[in-house]
Amino acid sequence: MKKIKKYVPVLYWAIVVALLGLYFTNDFGLVDIHKTSFIVAVGVDTEEDEVQVTAQIAVPQPSTSGDSINYIEVQGSGFTIADALNEINAKTGTYPQLLFCQLILIGDSCKDKELFQVLGCFYRRNYSELTALVAMCEGKASDMLAKPASIAPENSEGLQKVLSHELEKSGNVTKANLKTIAEANFSESKACYMPYIQMNKPGTSQNGGGDRIGGDDVEQSQSTASGSGQSNGGQGGASAQSGGGQDEPVEFTARKTAIFSEGKFAGILDETQSFALNMLETSVDMAIIPCTVGETEYTIGLKGISGKADFKVEKGVPKLTVTFKANAQVQGAKKVLEPHSVVNDDVVKKEVLDGAEKELKTRFENLIEISRKTGCDMLGIRKQLHKYYYKYYDAFKDDVLNRMEISYKIEVISTN
Amino acid sequence: MTKISCRQICFIMLIYTAVSKFIIYPTYLSYYTGRDLLFSALINFAVQGVIVWSVSYLCSRTDKTFFGLLKDTFGNIFARIIFGLFALFFLLATINPLFEQKLYVHDIFYDTVPSLMIFLPVFFFLVYASAKPFLNIGRCADICLPLFLLSMLLILVMSLHEVKFDNFLPVFTQPKKIFSSSLASVFRFIEPAYLLMFMGRFRYKKGDAAKITISYIGGAVFVLVVLAAFYGIYGDVAPTRHFAISKISLFFPAIDLVGRIDLLALYVLEITMLFALVLNIQLAIECIAQCTGYENRAVLSVAVNAVFFLILIFCDNKYNAISTLFSKWMWIVFLIFANLIPLASWFLRKKNEED
Amino acid sequence: MVTLEKNIKGVKSVLTSEDIIVFEFASLSGKKFASIYADGVADKQLLGELVAKPLKDVKEDDTLEDIKKRLASPEVKDGDKIADAIKEISDGNAVLFVDGEKDFFIIGLKKPPGRTVAEPPTQVAVKGPREGFTEDIKTNLGLVRKRLKSDKLQIKTLRAGKQSDTAVALIFIDGICPDGLAERVQKEIEQKSVDIVPDSSYISQFISKKPKSLFRHNGSCEKPDIFCAKISEGRVGILVDGSPIALTVPYMLIEDFQAVEDYYQVSYRSTILRILRLVSLMVGIFLPAFYVSAQLFKIQLIPYRLLLKISSSVSGLALSPSVEMFLTLFLLEVLIEASIRMPKYVGLAMSVVGALVLGDTAVQAGIISTPAIIIIAFSAISLFTTPDLVETSTTLRWLFLIIGGSLGTFGIVMFTAFLICYLVSEQSYGVPLLAPFAPIIKGDLYDSIVKSNMYALNKRPEAFKAKNKVRIKER
Repeated sequence: MKKIKKYVPVLYWAIVVALLGLYFTNDFGLVDIHKTSFIVAVGVDTEEDEVQVTAQIAVPQPSTSGDSINYIEVQGSGFTIADALNEINAKTGTYPQLLFCQLILIGDSCKDKELFQVLGCFYRRNYSELTALVAMCEGKASDMLAKPASIAPENSEGLQKVLSHELEKSGNVTKANLKTIAEANFSESKACYMPYIQMNKPGTSQNGGGDRIGGDDVEQSQSTASGSGQSNGGQGGASAQSGGGQDEPVEFTARKTAIFSEGKFAGILDETQSFALNMLETSVDMAIIPCTVGETEYTIGLKGISGKADFKVEKGVPKLTVTFKANAQVQGAKKVLEPHSVVNDDVVKKEVLDGAEKELKTRFENLIEISRKTGCDMLGIRKQLHKYYYKYYDAFKDDVLNRMEISYKIEVISTN
Repeated sequence: MTKISCRQICFIMLIYTAVSKFIIYPTYLSYYTGRDLLFSALINFAVQGVIVWSVSYLCSRTDKTFFGLLKDTFGNIFARIIFGLFALFFLLATINPLFEQKLYVHDIFYDTVPSLMIFLPVFFFLVYASAKPFLNIGRCADICLPLFLLSMLLILVMSLHEVKFDNFLPVFTQPKKIFSSSLASVFRFIEPAYLLMFMGRFRYKKGDAAKITISYIGGAVFVLVVLAAFYGIYGDVAPTRHFAISKISLFFPAIDLVGRIDLLALYVLEITMLFALVLNIQLAIECIAQCTGYENRAVLSVAVNAVFFLILIFCDNKYNAISTLFSKWMWIVFLIFANLIPLASWFLRKKNEED
Repeated sequence: MVTLEKNIKGVKSVLTSEDIIVFEFASLSGKKFASIYADGVADKQLLGELVAKPLKDVKEDDTLEDIKKRLASPEVKDGDKIADAIKEISDGNAVLFVDGEKDFFIIGLKKPPGRTVAEPPTQVAVKGPREGFTEDIKTNLGLVRKRLKSDKLQIKTLRAGKQSDTAVALIFIDGICPDGLAERVQKEIEQKSVDIVPDSSYISQFISKKPKSLFRHNGSCEKPDIFCAKISEGRVGILVDGSPIALTVPYMLIEDFQAVEDYYQVSYRSTILRILRLVSLMVGIFLPAFYVSAQLFKIQLIPYRLLLKISSSVSGLALSPSVEMFLTLFLLEVLIEASIRMPKYVGLAMSVVGALVLGDTAVQAGIISTPAIIIIAFSAISLFTTPDLVETSTTLRWLFLIIGGSLGTFGIVMFTAFLICYLVSEQSYGVPLLAPFAPIIKGDLYDSIVKSNMYALNKRPEAFKAKNKVRIKER
């Protein structure tokens, strides 16, 4: 034992020397901060059998104050996303880290593909966090990523801002990240949705406030894709976009929603349908709807919102109850107001409340109609059937969307 | 003979019971039983809880060690043989956690999967810690308790808001799978065997059996909460998410601002996981020492860890095979050593001749 | 009859040094005396006042007893061996030989040069006593006695060092200090034979069971109020002549997180400060290591926006993150070492060179990055919140940095587990170093990281197994 103890200090020194060797060489094939490129957003387009991945990469520039970052878009292509990322790796000489990627943008061209053929790679271990936002965009994802936003011209932050949590709370945009999409897609409903991003020139408005495209907008969005944006150096090219002057800043909106059923693209919900979906599926703090009463157009602010699509099976009959409650406040009216009438402006007249309820009901009806038409169970009816009425699941699962009775309990009351 | 306190045994039951089931077990259960995973885990914990209570209650009836009981009933040679078998059992029980640790370490400590080399220095620690006397087990548990509670608190606070409890519905859709996965998970539940080794090494006071059992239930509650959080967050996607404990706090909103602070909690928790691993090896060494009469723990520690080192080298990248081996074939070994023998120890001669 | 010359010769044959002064004088009646003392150590003025002056009236036939009565010094001992005389002279006392007598008197005139009682630089208190120990053991014992007037206070004096023959005092309170503890400490000191004991740190190593350990096994303090408080909890205190640092055993690691002011202010504030010290220590030790390993192995540890800033700062550097941090820490250590050793006159130049030339210019030149400097500076400041642990913590910082840079965050975690495993088995005179946490001692937790009010601390620490456990009792 004493003999062994004699060699313990030697062992300690050997360990220290070995560690120092490792410390100064870092020879583990490591990908350290110098060799890593941080992908902040990814655009995915498909072309025949190939996948084109456009990665927006943050390239830190030497700076003692540490605030100099350039953003470049680099493209790679291959049979899979991983293949394309490998090409990006080869082009940049750095290891592309998806861990900080907060936006995955799917181009119009992916509509024909299985959703999880496109997104599958991002679910693999060590690739990206499931918190990354996912959205579909009009036209090519690479073009949209390359376009400078008027609010944040240097990178994809402009795109991320239109998908922000704040907008989600106002019912203007649908929440979708890698986790929610996988959850919804692999549930019994086999349906998921994500925001649909469009770009406009500053000062113009995309489709106003009241268009209802319904199920036909697939074609429409495809046709707009051909004219959108400029190509960003083509496939396999890399171009620096930070502060570049060739592109006019644009504005992004994400008030529409792309829906998917059984992993395939099923259509695009317009603003009103998306609004209805958001009211039922996400927790909205404050929303705005227009309503017309007589000749006057009002803008109603809704607060204290609670909405849900409650599915039940009563006496063997599937029933869906859409319940919506909110407090209303007139935020604007398209008429000349008499000064004395403003005094009681907080008290919303019954006919205005009725108008708001009618408008909401129409929106919910439209949403359910689309759901039935496309077979896309974005409200999770089959999931509820499976969870709460399991014994009816086999009987109803195929036609529950068309078979269920629908009732609406919409209650909009005045704030004061 | 060094003694540990009942409090330290309680901590061991609470902490090590929990941390050894945080890595692959939730993913495994969600894969095999889906939304019924809590029931499967409950069955295991209920069975083990009863056996833990039984062994700890046995401690109130005798102040002998398990070796002493065996020796007084069947003689010295038989006792040595049983302890030899227990040594093999503890060695066997260390293999799966060791491989899980390797995978877990590669996942949460490194961005890119590093070589096996980077995990191997763990053996320096294991050799050193395993060679420490029995007293150390208890004191390490004392230190581990606040670390465990703090890290668990942070992780659970960061994760619970994302849990959707309807992910567990409908229940009992595949009852057969609940029981089969409980059986296949038996190799992860060896706490009664720990207690057998602690028998006679602490001064039993009235109510200690209840304290130990409650501590075990506490550990079980932690595991069930993590299982609930994991499946409640990921639902049907859960089977694709490995290393559950590191995945449940990802959706905490403040992470965008402050970064992965959950990783710090996980690192602190990793300390307790390492000690849980050491406990198995220390008990194996204790059994070898009792079996052979060879008391030099340093030499035994080097020898035992050398075996694990070789297993790790030669079976690298074969975790799936090892896991399958344990869940499909080895459950019977664990059933005998961690369930049947602890129960059977009631039939051993508890009083001395002169008593 | 022994002549005066013979005695003087006997001493001078051994103490041949020129600073050994022989002062010969005679009474009015002609009786001859010789006083021998070490120049500079004994008080010459007192020798004249208390010895020479009273002896002027000695008669020729006065006995030694008569002469002793005339001596005005309060500290007079009899001696009869030349060896004793030599020892006392070396110690700073004076020896008085009387013509015709073999025996002699040892007069306590020791007055070695030394500083006055002042506030110690390492344990400054905003609130509370400001007295600190000096290098003189007698002054230090006086400072202790001033605070502990108990009749149970025991002081054992030992000698250590073959050449220095340094006085070492063991101080404890009988009836509180556990039986046998002082004897064990005494045995440890007496068993060691060393040339000189210039400071108490030598004794610190003698009384440690594991002198090679990175962690010390005894407490230290420079203030008599802390020292007395520790003794009254059941510890043994050690004062070493020539050292202002007093030692106490047994020792628990938590002591170094307990500052003296914690006991003089509101307990809530003390608890917050202790948590702050613990967190600072952790930050100081781990931050550089985590920073390097995050850059090399786990980038996710750094929040995204901060990562971009760091990445931008390090992107132009020629050095790898590990080498950069090594260099920065090395620079810090050099600056600290140089600022301690360098004469005060060049201190200002040192600051300019260190802070501006090395720091700012190195960043401008792209050798080291701004975040690295911030990390190291923060780490350095953090460690000084627990000054008694600085030696250990700075060493640990190096170790963790090297492990973090070579094995990554897992290495850091593993080494932490290793340290825990090591520390839980360490003891200082039977008291676990990590008490009251491992093993948990419930009563002692009230004065650990949490500092409870005085009434909650009515018992002495259980860890020390004090004989009298009650500290506060209602009268």
